[in-house]
Amino acid sequence: MTVIPEMEFKSILDEMGFKQPKRFLMNSPYDYRGNFPAVLKVSSGTITHKTESGAVVTDIKNIDILAEVLKGMKNKFPDETIYAEEMAKRGVEVIVGLINDQQFGKLLLFGVGGFYSELIRDVTFKKVPLDRYDAEDLLEELKFGSILNGYRGLKANKGVLIDFLLKVSDFSIQHQFSQIDFNPVFLYEDDYLIIDAKMVI
Amino acid sequence: MNLDDIFSVSSVCLIGASREEGKVGNVILKNLKKNFKGEIFLVNPAATEVEGIKCYRTIESIPHSVDLGVISLPSTKVVEAVASLAKKGCKICIPVAGGFGEQGEEGKKLEQEMIKVSSTSGTRIIGPNCVGVIIPRTGLNTALTTESKSKFPSDGSIGFISQSGALGLLAMDEFSDAGIGFSSFISLGNEIDVDETDMVTTLGRDEKTKCIAVYLEKIAEVDNFLKECKKTSEKKGIVVLKGGQTESGNRATSLHTGSLLKTSFSLKGIFRQNGIVQANNEIELIDFSSALAFAKPVKGNKVAVVSSAGGVGVVATDVLENHGFKVNKTSDALASRVGERISRIGSPFNPIDMTAEATNLQYENVIKELDSSGEFDAILAFVLFQTFGVTEDIIDFLSSFNRAGKTPIVVGVIGGEYSRVISRKIIANGVASFPSVSRAVAALGALRERGEFLRRFEK
Repeated sequence: MTVIPEMEFKSILDEMGFKQPKRFLMNSPYDYRGNFPAVLKVSSGTITHKTESGAVVTDIKNIDILAEVLKGMKNKFPDETIYAEEMAKRGVEVIVGLINDQQFGKLLLFGVGGFYSELIRDVTFKKVPLDRYDAEDLLEELKFGSILNGYRGLKANKGVLIDFLLKVSDFSIQHQFSQIDFNPVFLYEDDYLIIDAKMVI
Repeated sequence: MNLDDIFSVSSVCLIGASREEGKVGNVILKNLKKNFKGEIFLVNPAATEVEGIKCYRTIESIPHSVDLGVISLPSTKVVEAVASLAKKGCKICIPVAGGFGEQGEEGKKLEQEMIKVSSTSGTRIIGPNCVGVIIPRTGLNTALTTESKSKFPSDGSIGFISQSGALGLLAMDEFSDAGIGFSSFISLGNEIDVDETDMVTTLGRDEKTKCIAVYLEKIAEVDNFLKECKKTSEKKGIVVLKGGQTESGNRATSLHTGSLLKTSFSLKGIFRQNGIVQANNEIELIDFSSALAFAKPVKGNKVAVVSSAGGVGVVATDVLENHGFKVNKTSDALASRVGERISRIGSPFNPIDMTAEATNLQYENVIKELDSSGEFDAILAFVLFQTFGVTEDIIDFLSSFNRAGKTPIVVGVIGGEYSRVISRKIIANGVASFPSVSRAVAALGALRERGEFLRRFEK
């Protein structure tokens, strides 16, 4: 089992036209040319749960704080690649995953994402490739699927989401993997952003 | 050889026929004798006749061809019998006994030998370790249960396949008790040759089968099974009750996807993708199958509720809305047309309450109005025989409306023995009928799922 370093995986996703926040490889604070607030992350081949290990710092409001956080991170993870992203505005959070299962082959997971996703466990699985009907069905199969219709000012665009799911399905056919997480994916009224992406082969 | 032959078996040979009451070879013979329209041959070297039928000493000495052989012998003697039957040109063998692959290496070897006979001769094997086959249209019945303990299905439209013998028989008893007929009952046993995918293919081709009901514990070849179901489900409904945890081969849980697969995997999404309606228990298996066999697919969320009891309508509305259905109000025009058909103290909006003054004719008129209005995707009619003006005669209308009406209809009949007897008659007339609000609504859910799936084939 090999973890693909995040920067690398995210570049592949860029090439395929998946939408992600603007990303900058960080050697010095001045490498960052995006808007604030920013997020600093370690792109590691081993660390997969970053929030717990301090390998991700969010809501960095200006260049001074960025410089300070970057320094601290470099001390803590001297051998790792560090990168920064623009911090995305909040959207409806979903998880989209791919897994190569021994019995069923390649499966796509779709579920309620974010902080509570493993508590709520509202997920559903389909075999890939998906057709448009399958993608529409995914949205119907969640218990909390109504959050896509809008909740507390956040609203998702179902057409955009379905196109994204079909794109993930295409990706799954073209690539070999053991597991992939797109978690969370932020859904907006007119777009989506993959906030975090991890791949294990 | 083609499994379609199972529907046209005209001669059966029972090897190991027994005169001893309660013995497998006797139970099967009695079931076989009852209704089978073809010829029956018995093999038992120690008897000249059993139950009035002549016994042959060997399979070879039967002076007639044999379409199907039932082998009621201990496992060690089965391979030889299968080989002799194959030589005779027998199309299908059913070894009933256990003591094969399920009991270890020795048994597995016996299975291998049988598979060899099957693949070289073309004889198909159902089992071993199974409880038999019932094809009501020809009277073929090799089931391992007796009439004193179980009801047997009448000829009907559900093709039932079961990997578990016991659960298969008890579900068969329940189906039959409700008045639901079978096109076939097939106990698959150890599936050394014929498996669930073969049977889905066969029942898919059978004109009489309108819905396939399956109880599974393991799926031999997942991809084939799903592919076959998807193909078949264009023509008819498939309901699967999958028992046992579905094992996943993935141990790695470093990512969220892997850990969610481990904790929260469900087949539902994959089943829906392939036109399979998932049942969560044996009652749903029965209800969903009969709904799919009898009623039209539901293509939307709007349900009209018709009843002669306000309370039933109110409860049904709650349950429907919980299932994601809409009990939308009738339009003013429709409400006034319905209003003219029912008592002045009733309610012509939805749920439609005809009150205790309801009659068969009111039901008929209201249902016709709802149908022609086009305002609803389904009609849920609670036909309550506790109401004075509602009688058994309503069945003729329900049956003809179910055939000729545009809107799918599901009937609820709530009550004790009297109501149950009439409900069976409603079902026997090919109308989907259920004995409670929640079961009727769940069945509508299955019909909606089917309706949604069929969108794929619409142009």
